[in-house]
Amino acid sequence: MAGRGGSTPATYSPSPATQNKKKKAPIFTDSDWVRPDTRGFTQCRPAFFRTGAVNAASGSAYAEIGDTKVIVSVFGPRESKKAMMYSDIGRLNCNVSYTTFATPVRGQGSDNKEFSSMLHKALEGAIILDSFPKTTVDVFALVLESGGSDLPVVISCASVALADAGIMMYDLVASVSVSCLGKNLIIDPVLEEESYQDGSLMISSMPSRDEVTQLTITGEWSAAKIHEAMTLCLDACSKLGKIMRSCLKEAALASQE
Amino acid sequence: MVGLSAGEKHFIQGGIAQDLRADGRKRLNYRPIYVETGVIPQADGSAKVKMGATEVIASVKLDLARPNPSQPGKGKVSLFVSCSATAGPMFEGRGSEELSTELSVALQRCLLGGKSGAGAAFDPSCLSIVDGKLCWDAYIDGLVVSADGNLLDALGAAIKAALTNTRVPVANVPAGASLDEDPDVDLSSQETTRIDTSGVPVIVTLTKVGRHYIVDATSEEESQMSSAVSVSINKERRICGLTKRGGAGLDPSIILDMISVASHVSEQLMNKLDSEIAAAEADEQDT
Repeated sequence: MAGRGGSTPATYSPSPATQNKKKKAPIFTDSDWVRPDTRGFTQCRPAFFRTGAVNAASGSAYAEIGDTKVIVSVFGPRESKKAMMYSDIGRLNCNVSYTTFATPVRGQGSDNKEFSSMLHKALEGAIILDSFPKTTVDVFALVLESGGSDLPVVISCASVALADAGIMMYDLVASVSVSCLGKNLIIDPVLEEESYQDGSLMISSMPSRDEVTQLTITGEWSAAKIHEAMTLCLDACSKLGKIMRSCLKEAALASQE
Repeated sequence: MVGLSAGEKHFIQGGIAQDLRADGRKRLNYRPIYVETGVIPQADGSAKVKMGATEVIASVKLDLARPNPSQPGKGKVSLFVSCSATAGPMFEGRGSEELSTELSVALQRCLLGGKSGAGAAFDPSCLSIVDGKLCWDAYIDGLVVSADGNLLDALGAAIKAALTNTRVPVANVPAGASLDEDPDVDLSSQETTRIDTSGVPVIVTLTKVGRHYIVDATSEEESQMSSAVSVSINKERRICGLTKRGGAGLDPSIILDMISVASHVSEQLMNKLDSEIAAAEADEQDT
């Protein structure tokens, strides 16, 4: 993983309750899946955030979670295009793009065109749009390397960038996804695990307000499994929220000196 | 779409709080659903669904193709939705792109299942002709003709009906023929097989207005929503896909509550749809 600078190691593990639950009742499918990076099923990858990655932008952030590397810049609030109607609340414009070298096979990132609208939906519930009427805030995300669980990393990085730009928000948005492989729930999947998954659940939440801004589920789930996956993810989201906050605090302290 | 006055907004919200919506329905009632199958003769399967003023058409076309090397025994399914400008002037040209992508992605999530194929609406191996060499590619297309809210549910129902209506031609491959180049596949026989659609889920969209949830929102009611959750549920009451739309944050317990309400409503919708589709198929065969 790239150098962390002065920040304390950002590894985190889920609360003891969820981890014990997994260890007491191990559910194995016919092939006992061992994660490629030897993590536990309920253990997320260590997360690294750094603000101020792009000098020209109003705010920006760089995030590296495992092999997934994302850079997000925020421009605004700036004047809406003349063609757009008058609006007494602000507008949010999101764009997610992949570099051509982000995926193992060149150019595969263009399959994910819907990420822009999903990023928009995840963020619009958290931003106080009334604070910048008649103007637009642009969020541009670039995925430098796709190592699995891309959209959650983009969403988390975007909210750090928005905070860096000084856009008023109700809370930071942290996002985590969980994969279902047979009967196992695997949090924060890598690219390999995502390609074999039977289903996935991605949640974006505002940890301090305990509110979910976005939830998408694919594959076949029972209601009980959804409940289990949601508790797991919300716990991981709150921990990720703390890491994001500590990154922003450090940046603020550093700029004061 | 015409804007709503403050009085109209208050009327809609107040009515929903009192379990009496603007058209007299209760919160968990659907509008009358009309299903017609076989509306597009050139397609291998098609259906038109009307829910109130919302009208959508779905069609299924099959093409011969080589299967994916990673899944040699299965055909490929691709799904795409477009909004016709007849639904409203805002859908002309590029205007409909955002809505179309959103609908397409939500439907793909609900109907095509996870990457390994679990939770898919139907088993794509029924589209395989020769393992590893030849299969049918199913192109499912949805078209929004008239939009008055609840597009996702209507499209889900139309696709379910279109798949039931699909007749897969029986392809006779001459034995011993080399399949490396374009093979001479014999499609002259009039025999067709059907796709097993018993596992196709229905999509139920719950719209949260104030503190209550409604089902089958009209576009006026949708403009007042704080958020909406679309759940795809199959016959075994298992959830095959879920999308939360709308900006406001929702408490996790509310989402779980919405899932159980959707599960309850899906049973009635599934039965209604099945009987409508069966009736439509019977009508079509008579004509």
